[in-house]
Amino acid sequence: MKKLATTTVSVTARRDLRNDYYSLTFGPYPRVTKCRPGQFVHIRLPETDILFRRAMSIASVDTDRREIEIIFKVVGRGTTVLSRYRKGDQVDLLGPLGNTFSLPKKSERALLLGGGVGYPPLLYMATHMVRSGFDPKSIEFFYGGRSDRDILDRTRIKKLGVNFHPVTEDGSFGQKGLITHAVESFIQGQKKDRMRIFACGPEPMLKAVDDLGLREGINGELSLEAPMPCGIGVCLGCVVPLKQGGHARVCADGPVFAIGEVIL
Amino acid sequence: MTPDLKVTLAGVEFSNPIMTASGCCGYGEELADVFPLEKLGALVTKSITREPRLGHPPPRTAETPAGMLNAIGLANVGVKRFLAEKIPWLETQKTKIIVNVAGSSLDEYVEICAMLADCERADMIELNISCPNVSEGGIQFGTNPAMTEKVIAEVKKVFSRPLVAKLTPNVTDIVEMAKAAEQGGADVLSLINSMVGTSIDIETWQTRLTNNKGGLTGPAIKPIALALVDAVHSNCRLPIIGIGGIATAADVIEFLLVGASAVQVGTALFVEPDAPVKILNDLTSYLKRKQLARVTDLVGQVRKY
Repeated sequence: MKKLATTTVSVTARRDLRNDYYSLTFGPYPRVTKCRPGQFVHIRLPETDILFRRAMSIASVDTDRREIEIIFKVVGRGTTVLSRYRKGDQVDLLGPLGNTFSLPKKSERALLLGGGVGYPPLLYMATHMVRSGFDPKSIEFFYGGRSDRDILDRTRIKKLGVNFHPVTEDGSFGQKGLITHAVESFIQGQKKDRMRIFACGPEPMLKAVDDLGLREGINGELSLEAPMPCGIGVCLGCVVPLKQGGHARVCADGPVFAIGEVIL
Repeated sequence: MTPDLKVTLAGVEFSNPIMTASGCCGYGEELADVFPLEKLGALVTKSITREPRLGHPPPRTAETPAGMLNAIGLANVGVKRFLAEKIPWLETQKTKIIVNVAGSSLDEYVEICAMLADCERADMIELNISCPNVSEGGIQFGTNPAMTEKVIAEVKKVFSRPLVAKLTPNVTDIVEMAKAAEQGGADVLSLINSMVGTSIDIETWQTRLTNNKGGLTGPAIKPIALALVDAVHSNCRLPIIGIGGIATAADVIEFLLVGASAVQVGTALFVEPDAPVKILNDLTSYLKRKQLARVTDLVGQVRKY
């Protein structure tokens, strides 16, 4: 199997979630066993004047059925086109691309932080950890959104057996406030050297998480989002500045970066 | 019978007319994960400058209808690291290597090309005298015929293998620049580089690139590139490498018909990294269907009203 290739797959399931969120499942995907949490697939939108592929985090994989799932919110033209795909439609995927979240030590407490549209890779991470034999009760799953309508897949998350901490800005579901505030109060009085953060979400949230990790001495990883023309590291369009100087490509050097590594 | 895809430019034989465009395939490493680079007629590297360059801060690309704007700002490893780290890997690849060189002064162009002269694996140099995204040099050399002629003549003194001059469309008369390049001693012309453009977010009123403008590429510029290749082919004897929005074999055929002897695939690689392989298959089928023995039978054969 070539290291990189485009694959034509079919939409095997489509779920219309609340609040302009959709889930699409694709298969059969021969590369499903190569997928890891944090990685993404780059999806072509043919028969439109939309040139670039769209990078979508993998939200779940089913190796038996050889399927992968993406979850996205309609925010622009690309996601509008994606939301119109129906079961049986063919889709061209390039991937899986990018690096991955690293698994914590079994003795560590994993703090998974998904903010809004950044939730899908954390769902995959939590599922992958539980399947890999991690105690679900060692996983703290923080899920932040603006309101009740933004918190998806609650039954699915609870079924994993993880400690679920929904947070909404307006307090309509779960704790009221920002996800980082909820995490801050959670860690009070806990052993911070035994914790590890994994986060994905809007840039202001990632910046706050980065600050929190550095301030409290908690290691961890952030998954960044950026418009990616190529997704394979050649166009240099999706770079982010690094604290040590220079640029890193979000698509090929990331999308996962260590806390403290990137200038946000 | 399998049609002959070989093309010869300035005495250098290429296995086929499909090349990658500079800035669209890095130094080849990533693309080699997608298909064997020996499939390509040639790989054209990202522009090399004397010193390493970080390029502009992000955002430095933006999507446009059927195209993209970029203002990467010639991010590259610099000629020393290119020779030390990139060439040894490129040497193992069974394709022709065209090294793209950019500079901000005459001295810089000459110095880099002199260093590449000792590097046998640089089969040709493509001189980027047309980058729209740096504040000094680059495009200044490509928009002034006297400077175009001068920089090419000086580089020819230090680099004996064939030299490609990459022309910008951001001029009133590209034919004048082509003739200046020929006068300076260029062996091949490649055209077009990107067209200056911009895009603005109407919610924030902010330009979408930190450089405020960039180079437009992709299918959106193909008709312009075709017309300019036609104009240069009709007025200049040098062989032409056509560039601009090429994504399919049909695009390649159009460029060959208006007079290009080879082509470069650029932005399409971002969308379909294996586009060159698909193009070669479809080009072969086309030649068979048209009962043409050689791809060169197409060059300059456009029928005009």
